[in-house]
Amino acid sequence: MQLKHKSQGRLAGVLGAMTASLLAAGAGAQTGGEDTPIKTNPPVQAQDQGASQAYESGPVDRETYSDEGLTRLDGAVLVYQEDGGRVQAIEPVLGVTFNGRDGEALSLHFTADVLTGASPFGATPWRDSQTFVAGVKAGDEGSTGASGNTVTTPGNNGINIATTTVEPDTLPLAGGFHDNRYVLDIAYSVPWGKDSLVSIGGGGSFETDYTAIYGNVGYSHDFNQKNTTFSVSGNFEFDTSKPGIGNPTPFSEMSADLKNGNRSKTTIGGLVGVTQVMSRNWLAQINATISYSSGYQTDPYRIISVVDHISGGPTRYLYESRPEKRTRTSMYFGNKISHGDLVTSLSIRGYHDDWGINSITLKASEYIPLGRDIYIEPGIRYYSQSAADFFRYYLLDNQALPEFASPDSRLDKFSAITPSLMVGYKIGKTGEIYARFSHYKPTGKNNQVNAPGYLAGRDLFSGATSNSFIVGYSYAFR
Amino acid sequence: MKIRLNNTKPAGRFVRPVGLVLVLLAGMGVLSGCASLGVKPWERDQMAKRSMRPVTHPIVAGIDAHIEYSKEGSTGGQSASGGGCGCN
Repeated sequence: MQLKHKSQGRLAGVLGAMTASLLAAGAGAQTGGEDTPIKTNPPVQAQDQGASQAYESGPVDRETYSDEGLTRLDGAVLVYQEDGGRVQAIEPVLGVTFNGRDGEALSLHFTADVLTGASPFGATPWRDSQTFVAGVKAGDEGSTGASGNTVTTPGNNGINIATTTVEPDTLPLAGGFHDNRYVLDIAYSVPWGKDSLVSIGGGGSFETDYTAIYGNVGYSHDFNQKNTTFSVSGNFEFDTSKPGIGNPTPFSEMSADLKNGNRSKTTIGGLVGVTQVMSRNWLAQINATISYSSGYQTDPYRIISVVDHISGGPTRYLYESRPEKRTRTSMYFGNKISHGDLVTSLSIRGYHDDWGINSITLKASEYIPLGRDIYIEPGIRYYSQSAADFFRYYLLDNQALPEFASPDSRLDKFSAITPSLMVGYKIGKTGEIYARFSHYKPTGKNNQVNAPGYLAGRDLFSGATSNSFIVGYSYAFR
Repeated sequence: MKIRLNNTKPAGRFVRPVGLVLVLLAGMGVLSGCASLGVKPWERDQMAKRSMRPVTHPIVAGIDAHIEYSKEGSTGGQSASGGGCGCN
């Protein structure tokens, strides 16, 4: 359905599963992973015993055991819900990692993603009701569903007409969509000489109107008595946008007409990092990343309102327009600090791209064991970003069209705070069940006191507050 | 009205690509150049803990990263990859 919004609730795990599989397979030990010790040797005691020997003869130190020689199964389910009856998602993730005795590892991850709900598609609110007309490919009605405010009627050439009516004084939402996505990842890593590790991975994400194929290679090397790990990795991704009725021409009028064919985007990226044991209790990590994307980076479902420069009322609706090139850079500094049985995690990330977005991210959490089997980990995350140069809530009818414009909240100026709590329960020698709740609350920072007429002083930020609940289980066996 | 008619936005408040590289090189120099950093093999008891790994729950970290990617304009940090969905 053309009104279907693709952004706000697009949860799933390409990145998740990719990261998970990469890390689990030991790809790029710079990022560590549950199954991959961070290039820090086990303590002498464990070394003397041999981790796998300890596994067989027990008892195993559940804090320090290694996965070498073991097969690990991971499963988790995410339940995600946005306030205001917007997007809901259920996402199961399954993974298996085969660990050799010599550090070799192969991992597979599968993720399914089921999304339903409603989300903003770019239009501004107005004092009267608004009607939006979009096309939907015949046969896709079942996947989009006609919610209370959307009616689908037969059209021509296999394209049906979806008419959505939005109540007065309401942020327009496209309702009733239903979308599935499937992701498969594979990663393999193998020691290279005495102190190095080479990794390779890839995968794909598949949904009705969008596919992504990607791959990556990585290399890491230990030195300074394994207190320092240098890592470098590169990745490639090829995306195809293929909405049922095609991709619209930027700044063309919103309509139910058949549009352009498939569009693609190519991304290449790299990471360089150093992980350093600073002291007995302090591990530090510095990463720099860069990525370059070229191709179609516009949201084919998103429009922008052209409003009257006096009243602020909508005069027409145009499909948004974004640049076709984007270079993104980030700098990350992470720390893990132990205090007895407690572990503090602290990190900061700075980000910049040539669309004009700068951001900073701060994260902190505390791992707190409660007795022998249970632990909790409360955390807090703060995020703040500036707006993209071409971000607009609306365009004015008395001004020429800019080269680019998008009302996507992800390009807006805002901050967000995310408290979280994880609870884990260790089962047997190598198992664990855990649950993690987090609450994401964004706040718009774009003051619109000078907006025309009706829009003046309104909070036009369309980001959604959401809750996420994850329950997972992990278990290793020989 | 807060509308920018051209790309006259001030320079990034944080870091530009060249700055990133310089900062990284400086950081690497500090980290790897100081042989005094680090511990002896018999002092790795804390480092060996699973709770000291940079990412203790990769699946949770991945889900978080993707939720954030669906809401925010930033990517990167602990991983160079990102996206893979129609989140344009």
